[in-house]
Amino acid sequence: MRINKIEVVLISIIVAYSLFVGTMNRAFFNIDSLFDIIRSSASVMILAMGLLVIMLSGGIDISFMAVALFSSYTASKILIDNGLTSVALAFMIAIGIGIMLGLVNALLISWLKLPPFIITLGTQNLFHGVMATFIGAKTFGAGRLPPSYAQFGSSTLFKIQTESGAVGLTTHVLFVVAVIALTWFIIRKTLIGRGIVAMGNSEDAAIRAGFNPLKLRLFAYGYMGFLAGIAGIIYVCQVNAVYPDKLVGEELMVIAGAVIGGVSVSGGKGKVLGVVLGIFIIYLLNSTLIFIGLTSSWNSLFVGSILTVSIALTSYQEKKKNQLDFIFN
Amino acid sequence: MLGNRNKHELRDTSLNALYIVTLFVLILFFFVFGSSMYSGRNIQSMAYQIPEFGFVALGMMFSFMIGGIDLSIIANANLSGILAANILMGTWLGGVPEPTRIVLAILMALTSSLVFGAFNGLLITKFGVPSLIATLGTMTLYSGIGMALTGGKSLVGFPKRFTAMGISEVFGIPVIFIIFTAVAVILGFLVKYTVAGRRIYLMGTNPVAARFSGIDNDTLLIFIFMLTGLLGGLSGLTIISRVNSAKVGYGDAYLLQALVVCVIGGIHPEGGRGRIIGVMITIALLQMMSSAFTILQLSPFAKKLIWGSMLIVVMGLTKEGPRIVAFVKKVTSSIRVSRLKEGRV
Repeated sequence: MRINKIEVVLISIIVAYSLFVGTMNRAFFNIDSLFDIIRSSASVMILAMGLLVIMLSGGIDISFMAVALFSSYTASKILIDNGLTSVALAFMIAIGIGIMLGLVNALLISWLKLPPFIITLGTQNLFHGVMATFIGAKTFGAGRLPPSYAQFGSSTLFKIQTESGAVGLTTHVLFVVAVIALTWFIIRKTLIGRGIVAMGNSEDAAIRAGFNPLKLRLFAYGYMGFLAGIAGIIYVCQVNAVYPDKLVGEELMVIAGAVIGGVSVSGGKGKVLGVVLGIFIIYLLNSTLIFIGLTSSWNSLFVGSILTVSIALTSYQEKKKNQLDFIFN
Repeated sequence: MLGNRNKHELRDTSLNALYIVTLFVLILFFFVFGSSMYSGRNIQSMAYQIPEFGFVALGMMFSFMIGGIDLSIIANANLSGILAANILMGTWLGGVPEPTRIVLAILMALTSSLVFGAFNGLLITKFGVPSLIATLGTMTLYSGIGMALTGGKSLVGFPKRFTAMGISEVFGIPVIFIIFTAVAVILGFLVKYTVAGRRIYLMGTNPVAARFSGIDNDTLLIFIFMLTGLLGGLSGLTIISRVNSAKVGYGDAYLLQALVVCVIGGIHPEGGRGRIIGVMITIALLQMMSSAFTILQLSPFAKKLIWGSMLIVVMGLTKEGPRIVAFVKKVTSSIRVSRLKEGRV
């Protein structure tokens, strides 16, 4: 795997910032901190992989949190109403619902031919509204949820003894690694993945090369829905409660992570490693501000600054390149 | 893309459709809600609520007309409001007498919103960032600055003389509504009768052609984003004077509603189309619907459902509209032809 300039910068930021936080507060240099970031970023990392595929295709999605909420809420409600207890079943139902909602997005975008941002802003509100109006708007606490949720949510691969007690690495990391590997494989090694990248670079060229944009969109948004179902259930199990109003509103942070990681909004450009680093930076900031004595209200200032600087730098390089190639847009 | 002739037809049909829909809603609401909707008190309260959202929608409209989008308007409005609030409360410039502070606070909100708008414009033009992602970044940045300044809490307690502006009336018409209407009329004049206005349409239709016909796209774009920012600042001032508090995250739902207004009002997201009158009518229409939702005591989720589905349905109708019209024409003309044939037989 080749490492490009953006990723070198991101890795240096992560290392420098970690050293800074560590010198400010010794408590940070602890395997506990790393395990905590891995656990809390698990569902977002999975969603970001779906977003990468969509952004590579030249689209964008801001409804995926609504899809994750819709699918996980509905799946959990079905389980509770029918007295079922299997987490695996919850995953299957949520994935099914997620794929369907993703396909709705793809069909609307292909039909309306308008900016996907506006269309998915519409479906974000539509999905959330449909869920809360027709399926339910009640919160299910730990008492109502199947006990298997809590078990899965707190399950660990292995535990390490530290001074503050045993800390474990969450099993959800397996899902994250699997999704990252799968996404990498789809983008780099399958025809459909190459088609998605081609479409992101130039839809006309992709059509002439024999790709069907509708099919590619259905795949990209369907894949996002599939991942949203998985991420939704992982999130619900981690907090061990189902809320009707969580997740939605957090999508911009995921998009920020992807963009910081070097994914281009105009499509065709972006790498799995960059996205992983981008999301990691956001969660690193999120969980370490407290170590350097700042409250969480400083979070969006930091993320906003990094985001603005990184988009300005990456776009500026592209602009210079376009000027050299006499492309005026 | 559509040809020029088609485009004009489309604009006119969509505006005509808007008039018909508005009339229909007006009559429908009369029968459903009667005096609870058409009472003097309710109309007045709508006139109080329109400006803060109306400024945001107008700003969104301008960013749409040049084929861009400004997601940072609401963050800009709230941050400008917070900066002004700090002066109003005497946290900054505490020694200055109150009337001067009020003037300075207003100037602060207006200049800061212009600066934020100019910053958006510079990111888009000088660094070549697509407006969607540039304003997504600055939206996070502006609300981040606001969060850092306030810690997420509301700033409350402004001088009486300032809040009086938000609630004062002339012949029963709220002053903020008069200001809003005046701004809209000025902007409508600017778009229709000035060179800059024509250039906005040209740039929105085809930026490359505009560039090669000697228009300085970059300057025009920065100007538009400064205008959008200023409208955000006006919205921020209206909000803090009306609700007597400033905080991050006020009016987040306005983003979706502003997009709905633009799409229903006939502003095409790809740019180059639209008239202020369409947007103004749609703002009034949406305010009436909001009012109806309040009377019906709908949950916030139900509102999301309605706004979201409206956005999708309207976009669908705008796309299929000409085809539907053509189909209806075809059917009616074929009926006429068959009648003629029958007459001949």
